[in-house]
Amino acid sequence: MAEQPTALERFVQGILPENPVYRQLIGLCPILAITNSMQAAVTMAVAVTFVLVCANAVISLIRPLLKPHLRIVIFTLTIATFVTIADRVLAAYLYQMSKTLGPYIPLIIVNCLIICRCEVCASKQPVFTAVSDAVGQSIGYGLALASIACVREVLGTGMFFGMRVMPAAWPDWSVMVLPPGGFIVFGLLLGTANWISNRR
Amino acid sequence: MIKAAERQQTVTTKDIPSPEIHVAPSPHLGNTHFSTRRMMIDVLIALVPAMGMALYLFREYALRQLLIGIGACLVSELIFVRLRGTNVSLKDCSAAVTGVILALSMPPTAPWYATAIAAVVAIGLGKILFGGLGMNIFNPAMVGRAFVMISFAGVMGAGAYEATGTLVDALSQATPMNAFKQAGVLAPVPQLFWGLTNGSLGETSAVACLLGGIYLCVRRTASWEIPVAMIATVIVIASIPDMAGYHGGRLIMHHVLGGALLFGAFFIATDPVGSPLTPKGKTIFGIGAGALVMLLRLYSGYPEGVMFAVLLMNAVTPLINRWTIPRTMGEY
Amino acid sequence: MVEQGDNTTRKKNGFRNNYIVQAWLGIVLALVFGIALSTVQAVLGPVIATNKINETKEKVPELLLGRDAGQDTEDRQLQITILPMTVAKSGIQKSYNVFEAKYADGTLAGWVTKVDGQGYADRIELLLGLNPSAEEITGLYILDQKETPGLGNKIVEERWRDQFTLKKTQGSLRVVKGGAKEKDEIDSVSGATISSNSVVDIINKTVADLKQPLAVAARKQKD
Repeated sequence: MAEQPTALERFVQGILPENPVYRQLIGLCPILAITNSMQAAVTMAVAVTFVLVCANAVISLIRPLLKPHLRIVIFTLTIATFVTIADRVLAAYLYQMSKTLGPYIPLIIVNCLIICRCEVCASKQPVFTAVSDAVGQSIGYGLALASIACVREVLGTGMFFGMRVMPAAWPDWSVMVLPPGGFIVFGLLLGTANWISNRR
Repeated sequence: MIKAAERQQTVTTKDIPSPEIHVAPSPHLGNTHFSTRRMMIDVLIALVPAMGMALYLFREYALRQLLIGIGACLVSELIFVRLRGTNVSLKDCSAAVTGVILALSMPPTAPWYATAIAAVVAIGLGKILFGGLGMNIFNPAMVGRAFVMISFAGVMGAGAYEATGTLVDALSQATPMNAFKQAGVLAPVPQLFWGLTNGSLGETSAVACLLGGIYLCVRRTASWEIPVAMIATVIVIASIPDMAGYHGGRLIMHHVLGGALLFGAFFIATDPVGSPLTPKGKTIFGIGAGALVMLLRLYSGYPEGVMFAVLLMNAVTPLINRWTIPRTMGEY
Repeated sequence: MVEQGDNTTRKKNGFRNNYIVQAWLGIVLALVFGIALSTVQAVLGPVIATNKINETKEKVPELLLGRDAGQDTEDRQLQITILPMTVAKSGIQKSYNVFEAKYADGTLAGWVTKVDGQGYADRIELLLGLNPSAEEITGLYILDQKETPGLGNKIVEERWRDQFTLKKTQGSLRVVKGGAKEKDEIDSVSGATISSNSVVDIINKTVADLKQPLAVAARKQKD
């Protein structure tokens, strides 16, 4: 068996070299659905971080007990629990944001990013490595969400984090806050990311 | 196809020194004058009546849109083509055609940034990202227009066509399609025919579109099946309420002559890149586009539907092409 | 990673192959997680429920007393109670959630009701404020809508909503284009006639249904 990466390697890899969105192309549903404002994107990133760190930690702790053919069930069970907690906490303390994000918080359950990290890292490596992997991947995911949301919010509403950054005469590009804007911006940024890495 | 055959040829005959024989499926006779450049210049010539009519009717508004549209298209073509690292191809005139069609499909009152962004999106997103001319799935001009139409609904929508306090008479009235959608008012047929109504720059005059369109069909730059099928479908669908006796025959004329139908049928739907290859496929394309136009005009929130109809049919073109592969003789 | 580690070398006997025994970890985890989740729900459930009610309640003073009064904390001392109301019209039962607002001294301040109806894109959910006798609209607030950005979503703007304030509920309201002149006319959002019509339709229907019962309820309270 090949040697597993260390905790530091896992952490660094998640941020850029193996960025979940721009490199692995996973967890794209929220990338397209909720990146029309920075606030929503950051909330989503925090929720994903919470779920990913907790799920990775728990899976890593119980990894000697996992049976290969039943592991996915255990993964899903664990993830679903933490997603439900995140959803309830949001509804209790950030009610408006929870209404804006709507079904996309519960949908973290089926976000392949989390089950992927459980499978690749947490079910094989000790807790510290698993948690640093989760943090690294979450930062990468958060950066990707923020990069897309930044473009879409500024162009689409002339605002950044709900604050006006464009002059008052700025014509809002409504298409950017609508679903097509998500696809277009994501495609263009992904192309740019590939272009930059090809030039290196 | 010829290129692929050639390549195969060179691979298989690599080690055997023998004269190179080109093998290619028929037809072996090709019209060398039938180049992209010639087709594009034909389209430009065909658009002259519509451009002239727009300039006559909307004066400085039309001039402004045309200048911005063509200029922005040429500049973005230069930039994007250079970004892709290929040779600059302004000489084939395709960017100019996109620019003219785009400008003629814009509302006269559209602000400069709307036309400019539409041009950049048309060339960048609509054409170059797909691999340049011939590779695009959607009509570039319509991609650009749809982008700004959805983005700037306030300055591009039906309400934005009406402007007060200008010297241009046409701008003071509602567009025929919008007047019908909102109040059920039908515009007089001669006005629609000569084009003395409000509307997007190039679409108002039925006679200008017909002149240009017939020129295109005669020159075989555009295939006649698409416009004929499209207009026929619109006539059939519009005649249903007419035959029930609601509008006394005027509804057909309203739907055929009014709005962007003729302009779209002759200049936009006939784009050879986004439409099917075979005559049968082209007929299906035209029928589909015509039916969608009527569906959108009658039941959507928009008064006009040519743009979305053509874009939707562009999307199913690969499918139509698969359905209508011609059979060789004797094949079942 | 499936067939690796110590799992493959483990002996397989009848007892160990039993489904329940195989799944012991899942069952234990489900129990633990279940308990954890019910604790979370027990703690946060009430908070979420109040959030939902507060969402409407917060808007009540603004809808009844005007925007400036709504911001003043002293005027917020309205006592709000929820009053479910069922209206039977031509055989169809319709239920409304009406919020009854009273001043501190017990006099009625007005009614706010939460209604929804079909808009251009999706359902529009709104709050409608009525004065105690239900003869006048005191305010309108759009809770939720998904109308076209740039056109239909302008129904949430104060400038448009303010038209409804002080409209009489005698007849039904009408949407006109290009400047409302009559008392029962509402100027439509330019380019979004359907969205404007939807909002006015929802209001007309609600007013028609609730005017009578609310007026009766108000009279009863006075006596």
